[in-house]
Amino acid sequence: MHEKEKDLVDAYMRGQMSRRSLLRGLAALGMTAGTASVLVNAAATRALAADFDWKAHSGKSVKLLLNKHPYTDAMIANLENFKALTGMNVEYDIFPEDVYFDKVTAALSSRSSEYDAFMTGAYMTWTYGPAGWVVDHSEWIQDAAKTNPHYNWDDMLEGVRKSCAWNGQPGGALGSEDAKQWCIPWGYEQNNLTYNAAMLEKAGVGVPTDLDGLMEAAAAAQAANEGVYGIGVRGSRSWATIHPGFLSAYANLGQSDLNVNDDGKLSAAMNTAGSKDFHAKWVKMIQDSGARDWSTHTWYQVGTDLGAGKSAMIYDADILGYFMNGAGNAMEGQLAYAPFAASGDGKPTPNIWIWSLAMSKFSKQPDAAWYFLQWASGPEHALFGATQMDFVNPVRKSVWADAGFRDRLSGSYPGYVDMHDVSAPGASIKFTPQPLFFDLMTEWAASLQKMVAKEVPVDEGLDQLAASIDRQLKDAGLG
Amino acid sequence: MTHQSPLERLLRGLALVLVVCFFIFPILWIVLMSFQTNETILRSPPSVVFRPTVSNYAAIISGHLDSNVASMGIEFMRNLMNSVILSAGSVALSLVLGVPAAYAFARHKFRGSEDIAFTLLSFRFAPPLLVLLPLTLYFQQIGLADTYLGLIWVYQLICLPLILWIVRGYFEDISPDIEHAYRIAGHSWFSTFCRISLPLAGPGIAAAALLAFIFAWNNFVFALVLASADKQPVTVGALAFVTASGIQYGQIAAAVVLSILPVLALALYAQRYLVEGLSLGAVKG
Repeated sequence: MHEKEKDLVDAYMRGQMSRRSLLRGLAALGMTAGTASVLVNAAATRALAADFDWKAHSGKSVKLLLNKHPYTDAMIANLENFKALTGMNVEYDIFPEDVYFDKVTAALSSRSSEYDAFMTGAYMTWTYGPAGWVVDHSEWIQDAAKTNPHYNWDDMLEGVRKSCAWNGQPGGALGSEDAKQWCIPWGYEQNNLTYNAAMLEKAGVGVPTDLDGLMEAAAAAQAANEGVYGIGVRGSRSWATIHPGFLSAYANLGQSDLNVNDDGKLSAAMNTAGSKDFHAKWVKMIQDSGARDWSTHTWYQVGTDLGAGKSAMIYDADILGYFMNGAGNAMEGQLAYAPFAASGDGKPTPNIWIWSLAMSKFSKQPDAAWYFLQWASGPEHALFGATQMDFVNPVRKSVWADAGFRDRLSGSYPGYVDMHDVSAPGASIKFTPQPLFFDLMTEWAASLQKMVAKEVPVDEGLDQLAASIDRQLKDAGLG
Repeated sequence: MTHQSPLERLLRGLALVLVVCFFIFPILWIVLMSFQTNETILRSPPSVVFRPTVSNYAAIISGHLDSNVASMGIEFMRNLMNSVILSAGSVALSLVLGVPAAYAFARHKFRGSEDIAFTLLSFRFAPPLLVLLPLTLYFQQIGLADTYLGLIWVYQLICLPLILWIVRGYFEDISPDIEHAYRIAGHSWFSTFCRISLPLAGPGIAAAALLAFIFAWNNFVFALVLASADKQPVTVGALAFVTASGIQYGQIAAAVVLSILPVLALALYAQRYLVEGLSLGAVKG
């Protein structure tokens, strides 16, 4: 590196200039933004090495189990810096998402020591943690000898960080004082609106701001745009149908999945008057303005239809809308984003999905694995992924405060940054953590399917669902 | 010979064309999809008129896929090679073990023979995960985890019972008198087995081997649980095109076309044996 460029990077690392000023300065020296960012990242890696013994596990090799995902691609693109920083080697197995959790479950349930760490969702740790398959990461986070001083755990968005911690008690509040940190947040998804601005404009409707408005906008967009349905939401017989827009709106209206009684016992909360009212509206919205094959719709169909111009908007993960605005989609560059609060109070409370990293309890070298985890979930890599790759949404406040990242997003994804800023304070997991999570939520989705298909009236369907859930909770000793 | 009027011939031909189209249509549609971009495939309404592209095949063969978010590496050709190694290896081992065993069960009634044969057949009924999770532990201890050898061994759960029970039926259909006549001429048991029994049961063995190959080729869960990503077959590899950032329909179609080619080639080559072998085994005298 030439002296002038080195001086600029060093000044940035000392905090004497902003990232934007640095990039502008390097550009003036004839350096492209990409090259400049690589230089900054390499300098950040050198700076990291100054205050911590990153070479403590030099020569060791850790093996990761990863899902095929843009987050993984971003990590691999930056992996050489980790190897240079630590002298460690990293091996990894990448599996497609469709089979990924089967592979994880098989590896953990067979107590395999092959993988030291793996990607997981926070919901999955409600099974892995109490089963003793993953470690409580607090032990490492709080150990100054094992965690570098720049890790800055508090930089993680609070709702996201707490959503990855649970005390193992059915119904126990996420992130409570006695909670164990079963996983480390890596990237996350809020559930909000992604809409086709031209389609809404053609229908003469604005961006909806409450549930009634959402129903009206979806119906109007469908009527005004031939061959287009109004709103894409998931509908397959899976727990994943419940967690995106559905639960986000449901929670925003003050409803919950389960009651936690004073004695710690759980009971179904789906058949309250408020819940029945919400379900009736949601079911009608799908019947009037949803996809005709809604009951088969998963993440993929919801996203694909939006990207292909077959739906006017989706109420689903924001990053799904982000992906569908990219090259190769018929609607490339035509999508916009908005926060959504079903209650109309302007304070969204999106349920979230968190891609996280966790260390296997069966790893024979957890300290070495932690070196990888703290680097991969650290602020330097988060910034690299967010600014150079497609690592959205980052879980660190510092990355969201980075002007370069915000400008980049705002330039191509109108409304995305504002949507995130408005939603982040209320973003967290809205489910009640308990061991029957996947079974009960899948039953909820099946029940929703019956209501949409008019096989059962909403009131009756919810009463039946609540009775069935109460029975299962009792059988499991939870209710 | 019955006489057919031109109208009857026309109608018969038309009916045959319709039936063929009905069965071939899904495959034809997949082939057409494999020459289209994702955008063309997803247009509404779908159309058979499009500008063909070989980009899907190029992406798969080069191992470099440009998705709507970023470029990513794919290992489909390695998956294809893994499927060939695992399927061919496991069928070969099953033939070596299963054909002599089938002959023994067919010709020699010994104490416990039926019990052993049914035990081997019961491997087919075992839920794979029930077997695989304990096997993972044992394989790690004895160093067979994540090896082709270990996987081929486990694939015997699929191939061995199939070959053993099908081929046993063929050996039973061959008259023992032919073998006796050959042995009276002074030939050894082994020579009789090699020169008389095996050639006579050849079509049946070929049919059983082909079926076992197809079953092994279509297997999904064994390698998924027991092996790393670099030893996964096409059944797992094809799912790599279903990503969080979207489904690459064109590449999936191209992958399907490439993955059925080896089985299709083998089936066409062995078609004569297959029909002959299956019909021979199905009709017992």
